[in-house]
Amino acid sequence: MHIEFLRERFSESSDADALVWREQSFSYRHILDEIDNWVRILDEEQIAKGSVVSIEADFSPRAIALMLALVEHNCVVVPLSSSVANQIPEFREIAQVEAVISVSADDVPVITRTGVHVDHPVLLGLKEVAHPGLILFSSGSTGKSKAAVHDFVPMLEKYKVPRHSLRTITFLLFDHIGGVNTLLYNLSNAGCVITVPDRKPETVCATIERYGVELLPTSPTFLNLLLVSGALEKYKLDSLKMVTYGTEVMPESTLARIHEILPNVKLLQTYGLSEVGILRSKSKSSDSLWVKVGGEGFETRIVDGMLEIKAKSAMLGYLNAPSPFTEDGWFKTGDAVEVDGEYIRILGRKSEIINVGGEKVYPAEVESTLQTMDGVVEVVVSGQSHPLTGNIVVARVKLGTDENLPQFRKRMREFCSERLARFKIPQKVELVDQSLHGERFKKMRKL
Amino acid sequence: MQQEIIELIVETARELGEDELSLTEELNADTRLFGKEGALDSMGLVTLIIAVEQAIEDRFESPVALADEKALSQTRSPYRSVATLAEYAASQIQGS
Repeated sequence: MHIEFLRERFSESSDADALVWREQSFSYRHILDEIDNWVRILDEEQIAKGSVVSIEADFSPRAIALMLALVEHNCVVVPLSSSVANQIPEFREIAQVEAVISVSADDVPVITRTGVHVDHPVLLGLKEVAHPGLILFSSGSTGKSKAAVHDFVPMLEKYKVPRHSLRTITFLLFDHIGGVNTLLYNLSNAGCVITVPDRKPETVCATIERYGVELLPTSPTFLNLLLVSGALEKYKLDSLKMVTYGTEVMPESTLARIHEILPNVKLLQTYGLSEVGILRSKSKSSDSLWVKVGGEGFETRIVDGMLEIKAKSAMLGYLNAPSPFTEDGWFKTGDAVEVDGEYIRILGRKSEIINVGGEKVYPAEVESTLQTMDGVVEVVVSGQSHPLTGNIVVARVKLGTDENLPQFRKRMREFCSERLARFKIPQKVELVDQSLHGERFKKMRKL
Repeated sequence: MQQEIIELIVETARELGEDELSLTEELNADTRLFGKEGALDSMGLVTLIIAVEQAIEDRFESPVALADEKALSQTRSPYRSVATLAEYAASQIQGS
């Protein structure tokens, strides 16, 4: 009953494309048929209403239909994509998964029972009120992965308001709040979601050209790789109307360059967290890092320079960590912000501020400067404790040049001396060969 | 070894450049680094120390810590001059 409004929208638009997957289009009628198919399978397999079920699949018509069928079945859905392959056993255990439904690469579903008995109070609470749920794991780029449990019912509420949809690439997967948001937003507005076989800059650009993609929701790290790859110039991206970016601080330099290359594309910052959901946001302009966040169901406030959010669609709690909410329901995001009237500018995670001899350094500012150097493919800046100044600024750099460390270090110092305060210039530089981002195209600051 | 390290420190300091270290005078073993009449402020010192640590590791293939508790608790600071830093570095390499 919870997805009745979706079923109605799907019926109204049954001939429209819901999804492009493996170079093939699937209509809303197809998705409806798949949902009915799953409802029958869940019944035959005697998956009890309210069970905790993991979906181990990437975005496919079948996997999406399964998610909706499970919601209808009041199940707690645990989407696990191949990007977390080696953590799957651990995540299943934390989420107290009772049944695993995996959809293999050739689209064949397999159902396995784990024999687990659910006893976590948050999960029992959902069963009690007969609401479907969703468990999302944080990426763990700043520590261990936390399992956030959502009640699907309030979460779906905001998608009932009809809005305009754009042909959208699914960049984030459905085991991420951003990916779930993209999916639900498009489905509820009978939009078309275009999946990509991988997230290489070339593949993404080719997909935009081929399928007339209008919206690319992505991360600053990916946009930076896109700039370095040269793929932007190689493909016709005229269909693209909007690029949204979030999940980490956007370096000023990356935004400026994207805006320069794609002057007609609207660049919009998004803000959301697995704990509270995705807020509505509005950037001051395409080349501005100032953004208004909030919207129906969200309240925001700044306490000691940190953003706090109260959300109707907030998660119920973590499964493996204490509640992060204040007694009256505010969530401390840990994001340091500057305020200008209604707009905020996100500076970085409080936990990632580097204190060098009493001076504060935000990694994003240093990264933004270093990224404008020729030959810098990727850079991650973090703090390291040091007996002389408390902390030092360390830059890990992936280079596209043949320079050795002393050569690069010298060039970097010269470059930064006019652009950064002295204490912000990395005192230590490491050259690396491997990528500096995780599966979700977010910088990995923890070593 | 100490002479070799002195040269290494001078070389590293030159590489870091005058801007970074405000080292204007001729660099040699007697150059005062940090403290009374020192050429460096604390940021400059940190930068030089880290670069020297790295240079020593590259040259002698053995990691060396020039700014740990031990270095900071010496009665006579190893950071007074190029020579004292080299002496301390040599003792750390031999001791390891």
